[in-house]
Amino acid sequence: MRDPRVEKLADLLSGYSLGLRDGQVFRIDGEESTLPLVTALYRSGLQRGALPYLQVRPTGLEEILLHEGSEEQLSHISEGETLQSEQLDAWATIWSSANTRALTRVDPERRRIHLAAHYRMVNRRWERISAGELAWCGTLFPTQAHAQDAEMSLADYEDFVFGACHVNDDEDPIEHWEALSAELTARARELDGARELRIVGPDTDLRIRVEGRPWIPSDGRHNMPDGEIFTSPVETGTEGEIYFAFPSIFQGQEVEDVRLRFRDGRVVHAEASTGEDYLRALIATDEGAAVLGEVAFGLNYEIDRFTRDILFDEKIGGTMHVALGGGFDEAGTQNKSDLHWDLICDLRQEGEVYADGELVWKAGSFIAEPAAQRV
Amino acid sequence: MSERLAKLADVLVGYSTAVRPGDTVRIEGHSPTTPLQRELYRSTLRAGGHPAATLVVDETVESLLEEGGDEQIDFVPLDIRWNLEHGDVWIALDGPENTKHLSGVDPAKMARRVKAREPYQQRYLERFDSGEFRWVLCGYPTQASAQDAGMSLGEFEELLWRAAFLDADDPVAAWREFGEELERVGSMLDTVKELRVVGEDTDLTLGVAGRSWKRSSGKNNLPDGEIFTGPVESSLEGTIRFTFPASIRGRQAEGVQLRFEGGEVVEATARRGEDFLQEMIAMDDGARRAGEFAFGLNPAVTEYTGSLLLDEKIGGTVHLALGRSVPGTGGENLSALHWDMVCDLRRGGEVYADGELVYRDGAFLDGAG
Repeated sequence: MRDPRVEKLADLLSGYSLGLRDGQVFRIDGEESTLPLVTALYRSGLQRGALPYLQVRPTGLEEILLHEGSEEQLSHISEGETLQSEQLDAWATIWSSANTRALTRVDPERRRIHLAAHYRMVNRRWERISAGELAWCGTLFPTQAHAQDAEMSLADYEDFVFGACHVNDDEDPIEHWEALSAELTARARELDGARELRIVGPDTDLRIRVEGRPWIPSDGRHNMPDGEIFTSPVETGTEGEIYFAFPSIFQGQEVEDVRLRFRDGRVVHAEASTGEDYLRALIATDEGAAVLGEVAFGLNYEIDRFTRDILFDEKIGGTMHVALGGGFDEAGTQNKSDLHWDLICDLRQEGEVYADGELVWKAGSFIAEPAAQRV
Repeated sequence: MSERLAKLADVLVGYSTAVRPGDTVRIEGHSPTTPLQRELYRSTLRAGGHPAATLVVDETVESLLEEGGDEQIDFVPLDIRWNLEHGDVWIALDGPENTKHLSGVDPAKMARRVKAREPYQQRYLERFDSGEFRWVLCGYPTQASAQDAGMSLGEFEELLWRAAFLDADDPVAAWREFGEELERVGSMLDTVKELRVVGEDTDLTLGVAGRSWKRSSGKNNLPDGEIFTGPVESSLEGTIRFTFPASIRGRQAEGVQLRFEGGEVVEATARRGEDFLQEMIAMDDGARRAGEFAFGLNPAVTEYTGSLLLDEKIGGTVHLALGRSVPGTGGENLSALHWDMVCDLRRGGEVYADGELVYRDGAFLDGAG
């Protein structure tokens, strides 16, 4: 049976996130478990006059490649894939897997080789997105595996996911996201004026220079759900300590109770209660991996819990996150890295954020409406 | 099951398409085929190729044909285009979830979709003929195909595996050996100028002079076992009635009878689905002419199942395809259509080669030719 929320999500993606138009070549990527959303999105694309097609992968191929492929095979990107990524007008990626831990036991070096090739594609995709040549959006289709990670039943998890996307029966999703977009944009313009942020919370006192770096609203165009504003910090301007109460996950592996100390923008000390070796290995990925590529406010208040999926976790209303590794060109970053690892700091209970010394955020929300909206 | 799938994958990758290091290999099939897709993926990696697997999702075809406009129906996805124009190997798995899923679709729209893909079809067949591109279509047992065959999934699996010679210790050796048998029949047919097929409601003559007979033993189809050519386009005269329902792209016509004059269908009737038949043969000029004539020769395929891949291989049948010829046979017919229809000759059927009886009751006579 078709879940009307899936159809609504598809319409939101094609109508708002991607803004599909007549004649646009539109590819939909997903794994087997995403089929209900894939087919709904295909129909929605057709209804908007686009030229949709699918790339639906059977479950379980990546682990075969990672366990059995040669180095050449691990890093191979077919010409056909490259060509498509140059020619598409619109592209939707539906994340979901039947088992979120299928790759846990893969040799990390082999994983790195494979990911490096993958990121070359992702980087090129972002170049085209930035140039306005491509509309892209990533979303998630709720499956048992993701519900399990979130420690929820599938039915509860579906409610959570569709709630965060604002596609419930009584909602007008496009109206919601347009209003949120205006609010986030106003907030971003306000933060553009700040030279330095200071984040204060449990075991946390971190100063991050953001002078001259534009803040970018994440308003449901490139992620669904969405709801954050972010920028890339000045590479040498991070000082102090930060504690991440939520587990930090990279490629399915968890590190708990991460604590980082920064000096002149670089991590100089890193510890964790579990997974410390992995934490240090990731920070040692390359030069840029010890430097922040992102700082952001999570502002989707429908997302009220940690579910072990970064698409949601980084947007938990009332949190902030920083990412070690590569930053965003449109935010003026100079930091390059093969790593981009988001770590989430929960500020909902006792967190405070100061912008150039002025308290702007307390206990999980901005103190005042953004200036542009106050009038 | 998984052992057999691994064995099947090795036949498809090692023998049928002979994957070489560096080859790009596109693997595609419906949802039920994913266990075999995984084995093919693994087998391709071992052969040094670069596999990419993708699901065929029938629901999108239904949506396209129900809701799509002309431009949308004409659109050929970029990945399919690239594969047909530049790919090295294509492995397609036929494991449908519902063989009648297009029953409610307007045949004109279906014909339009087929036609839009024709240039790419033609291109891949040429690339195949020149050896640049290798492909295979492999049957996969599903509830839907078992249902069409009127049997359980377990029974259908057995039938399919037997037909693919997977019960042999060394299936590749079995296919090579079978290939030698086909060679004997083929070398006889190579010398023939005209065939006459006689059976129930059937008396058809066709010229095959100067055309090549292709021996088909597990390279492009699995199961396999046929020998085919492209008949001289203007030569067909007479009538043929097809014993089994003729299916294409999820639709079918039953009791099809065709009368040819000067190579063209001048009368086409069907007990069921006649409108669909008329729509298909009106698709373009070439759809009224025969692009293929073939003998089904697989001894392990003995009964009609409703899966063309199997039915056209039934030992003791012949089949004729309306539409496009296959490059390499010498056939010159161009069309967006290629529709195989099977005629059972096992009871009283006869085939004459240049006037001499060479085939009776579904088998070539000893010493024929």
